[in-house]
Amino acid sequence: MRPRIAEWRFMLKRIRQSSLAVAGLLILLAFVAIAVLAPVLAPPYSSDPFIVPADRLLAAVTPSPTPPTTAHIFGTIGSDQGQFDLYYICIWGTITAFRVGVLVVAASLLIGLIIGTAAAFYGGILDEVLMRFTDVIIAFPTLVLAMVLAIAFPGSIPINFSMVMLAVSLIVMFALLAIRPDRRLMLVDLLIIVFSLYSVFSFPLNVQLGLSQLDKVLFAITIVGWPGYARVIRGEIMRVKNEDYVEASKASGSSDFRTIIKHILPNSIYPILIVATLDIGSIVLTTAALAFIGVGAPVNYADWGQAISRAQSWISSADLIIKNMHVFVIPGLFIVFFVVGWNLLGDALRDVLDPMMRRR
Amino acid sequence: MSQESIVDVRDLEVKFYTYAGIVEALDGVNLSIKKGEILGLVGETGCGKSVTSLSIMRLVPPPGKIVGGRILYKYGSVQGNVLEMSDHSLRKLRGKDVSMIFQEPRAYLNPVYSVEDQIGEVMLVHKKEEILQNAVSAIEKKLIENRRIALEKQRVRLEKQKTRNKKDKMKLEERRARLEKEISKLASKPPSNFEVRIYKRLIRSPRSRIVAFQARFSRKRQFKKELRKEVVRVLRSVEIPDPERVARMYPHELSGGMAQRIVISMALSCNPTLLIADEPTTNLDVTVQAQILNLIVTLKKGLGSSILYITHDLGVVAQSCERVAVMYAGNIIETADVFETFSNPLHPYTRALLRSIPRPGEPFRSIPGFVPSLVNPLPGCRFHDRCEYAMEICRKTKPPFFEVKPSHYVACHLYGGLK
Amino acid sequence: MTNLFAYIIRRLIMLVFVILGVTILIFAITMLLPLNIRALLYINNPQHFHELIEPTIKAYGLNDPFYMQYGRWLSQVLQGNLGTSAYFSQPIAEAIAQRWPLTVEIVIFAAPIIIFVGIFIGVQSAIHRNTPIDHASRVFAVLGWSLPSFLVGMTLLAIFYGWLHVLGPGSLSDSTRLYVSSLPHYVHYTGMDIFDGLLNGVPWISWDALLHCILPTVTIVTIDVALLIRVMRSSMLESLGKPYIITARAKGLDEKVVIYKHARRNALIPVATLSGMLVAGLLGGLIITETVFGFGGLGQFAADAARNFDTPAVLGYAILSAVVFVIANLIVDLLYAYIDPRIRLD
Repeated sequence: MRPRIAEWRFMLKRIRQSSLAVAGLLILLAFVAIAVLAPVLAPPYSSDPFIVPADRLLAAVTPSPTPPTTAHIFGTIGSDQGQFDLYYICIWGTITAFRVGVLVVAASLLIGLIIGTAAAFYGGILDEVLMRFTDVIIAFPTLVLAMVLAIAFPGSIPINFSMVMLAVSLIVMFALLAIRPDRRLMLVDLLIIVFSLYSVFSFPLNVQLGLSQLDKVLFAITIVGWPGYARVIRGEIMRVKNEDYVEASKASGSSDFRTIIKHILPNSIYPILIVATLDIGSIVLTTAALAFIGVGAPVNYADWGQAISRAQSWISSADLIIKNMHVFVIPGLFIVFFVVGWNLLGDALRDVLDPMMRRR
Repeated sequence: MSQESIVDVRDLEVKFYTYAGIVEALDGVNLSIKKGEILGLVGETGCGKSVTSLSIMRLVPPPGKIVGGRILYKYGSVQGNVLEMSDHSLRKLRGKDVSMIFQEPRAYLNPVYSVEDQIGEVMLVHKKEEILQNAVSAIEKKLIENRRIALEKQRVRLEKQKTRNKKDKMKLEERRARLEKEISKLASKPPSNFEVRIYKRLIRSPRSRIVAFQARFSRKRQFKKELRKEVVRVLRSVEIPDPERVARMYPHELSGGMAQRIVISMALSCNPTLLIADEPTTNLDVTVQAQILNLIVTLKKGLGSSILYITHDLGVVAQSCERVAVMYAGNIIETADVFETFSNPLHPYTRALLRSIPRPGEPFRSIPGFVPSLVNPLPGCRFHDRCEYAMEICRKTKPPFFEVKPSHYVACHLYGGLK
Repeated sequence: MTNLFAYIIRRLIMLVFVILGVTILIFAITMLLPLNIRALLYINNPQHFHELIEPTIKAYGLNDPFYMQYGRWLSQVLQGNLGTSAYFSQPIAEAIAQRWPLTVEIVIFAAPIIIFVGIFIGVQSAIHRNTPIDHASRVFAVLGWSLPSFLVGMTLLAIFYGWLHVLGPGSLSDSTRLYVSSLPHYVHYTGMDIFDGLLNGVPWISWDALLHCILPTVTIVTIDVALLIRVMRSSMLESLGKPYIITARAKGLDEKVVIYKHARRNALIPVATLSGMLVAGLLGGLIITETVFGFGGLGQFAADAARNFDTPAVLGYAILSAVVFVIANLIVDLLYAYIDPRIRLD
């Protein structure tokens, strides 16, 4: 374990040296703080904190968005059902963003990992078939396919996305405990379990089995996303597969599964981590884009993309754009900073891990 | 034998500024290469052999930096301290006076350009005039020949022509005389065409932009032909079979031995004074190794160049080199004639090195300890922690590099040298 | 050169397979839909499609097994019948054909800018590593890639339209559009007003169209050029560290030659692939950007269809998008084989 620890320490030192990376980390920490402190910063009004409170009094006065005032710090977005507080949306939207990003990336990564590893390790016809399959999915521009899937998905299947993630991460935990208790992997998996638990239980229990529009979107993006990971991991494993220590492992009688988990994965997993980090930001952008088109969270859900989507109806003329600028600029800035944070972190990881990968 | 030296490296210091710290790769290297000799540079991996050779051509890549010393180049058209030369002189030096071949030839060739592209490139930089001249001669020869044939035909026709009276006969005589004059003038004033004129202008004023612009209008077919011919000739000189076909190939289509030959041909194409060979045969099969080694030595004899042969294989050194320089942890610790080095090694490291060569029937003997880290190295002699003769002074002061016996230099406190 | 030819043939065959796979995937998705919506995929008559649903279900046997339906549907598609859009009341193929030129209008400007500017800045950034130029371009790259396109679009609109009242949304200003529809002999040769205006002898229509292309182009360029800069930079840095660069310098070549002839050519290889995919994606429709600017191109068609849950239209769009993508990738692969001789062998 010692050389690994030294590696991680070296990596941390390098990250500390890059000011951009530190900036990225700080940004993300700020968002984490917002997410954790959300109940304090913006107390929820109903049992489901993600439903944005609607100010009907203000709506009676004017249905259009209002600029920032003392009552509503960021202003409001108008609708006929009542004015939605933009501040509330932005705060709770942070949690939504984290949820969406982390869950979808984790899901895509796991599926891609399994399929890519199987394809690379066993080769032959399995590899060909799986790769053609990924080719077909990759043949679609991401947004297009996600959009199609999000629409065409049937309206109700008996599980929602968070429950799926919870189940998968629990299975992974059992697998890790059985085969190889690796502390790092277990830590990451534990985080995912906590996340999924929180997601599952943050819905009031009677909203059960129909798939909300947001869930459909999450499923859609996952399906579109896993081939990317599959390809990356397959490339890495193909490279690692022929190295001597793999032959040695097989020669000493390890089962295929053991060889994969103990030798192949730890050496090929770094590029995937970089892709995953960068992907979180990318997925938040995609979700926002889909919300913008109208395929996203429901109208009163606390989501940044959703807020901007609503803004569309209020910027139809030149004056209105200026007057209601805050409606899209403020949530927009939240999105930008969130994504920038992840991108900086991902870039820093890449800069740091790249020479390390080469040294192997 | 007092041969003049062509390269004199004095107190060369090179440092690498890495994330892990400052690596003092070369710590005062002294080396001298004489004209026409093969100097072997031996040492373990990581002792600084490659860095030394790259420094001679000022090719040390970042994060490395040459921070001190002088490299005096004393021969040929470009003389002076390599480390202070202008970019212009440096580019003239590289490829023409000093050239280099490397360990993994296929990695050192650009994969997207063909062999003839890459060899031709060197020639274009250093031998352009020569090739232009060849082109001019070739075209002129052809033009003269064509004209002569035409004129000969005319002469034959004139001979056959019948004359009717004296006036016609005089006219005929006139024409014949003119024809003869023209034929005789052919050699001295050859006919010309657009292509030849462009070439001649290029030879006269190689830097003129106007001429360069004019040259764009010509297909320069003959020039390209001559270039290709020269490339093929060079390929043939390194014993590559079917050079015309090989010239059109790409690096990934070549075998290791063939690629190395091509790299050698590229390095020798402009007749360098010094060839630096950085472990050229290490990655090749043993049989190919011998071939390449022989090739290098033969070519060297033909060109009269010197060779700096870098290797960690003492067998090769014994076989092919005339003098040997032994390097350890960034210093040259011993330099001598090859027989002298093998029969009478002075420096403890050299002795240990020779002792550790496996001999049948004898137990393995290695040098205890590890090569020191070059980041923040300890003062004093860098070998002292592994040396069996280490003295107190070895820990504190670096031993000077001086001539213990005629033409035998050592850096060791055992032999004094401190004033 | 026969190697290159064989390579092309092989890639073409794979192209056919991938497109087939794409159609199967799309069709599988349609099977998730309720019966009456699926019927719309076969109807080509925008007027009375409601009445036609029942007979269509029977005629096309939409209750038959998967492969039979797939066959029938595929033959329909190959004949150019992509179904009818309930929302637009138009045959889908016609709707797409009308709107695609507008998308191409933007892409014609955006694509070359993205590629050339991206390559240039990426190369310069790599050459002048760790200087202010490099840092500035890296910051710009990270920022550009993190911006959602709708945000950039809306902000630009706010500035130029809302505040300065200069450039507005849409592909033509309203007055120009009215004028065009009032012209009796205006022929839509290409479907793109930039060219049609000139071809019809009314140049100021072209000018108006051109002006309206500026903001969407800027939007899409800002975001995509960031990616290209980043990839070009890292590819160039990697290329500059390769051993053959040392050889090139050792030959006495001018530094400019070393960088531009030797390093850059190798560095361009992954960038070429990326550019191709980028342009392919652009040609498939700029969904968000067009919607923000109300440009009326293919992307907006898809967005409107999606918003109104007009699935046949979205699927028709998806097929087109995928086909464009795959063909563009093929072209990129061929270009790739031209640049990098190593590919031609396998």
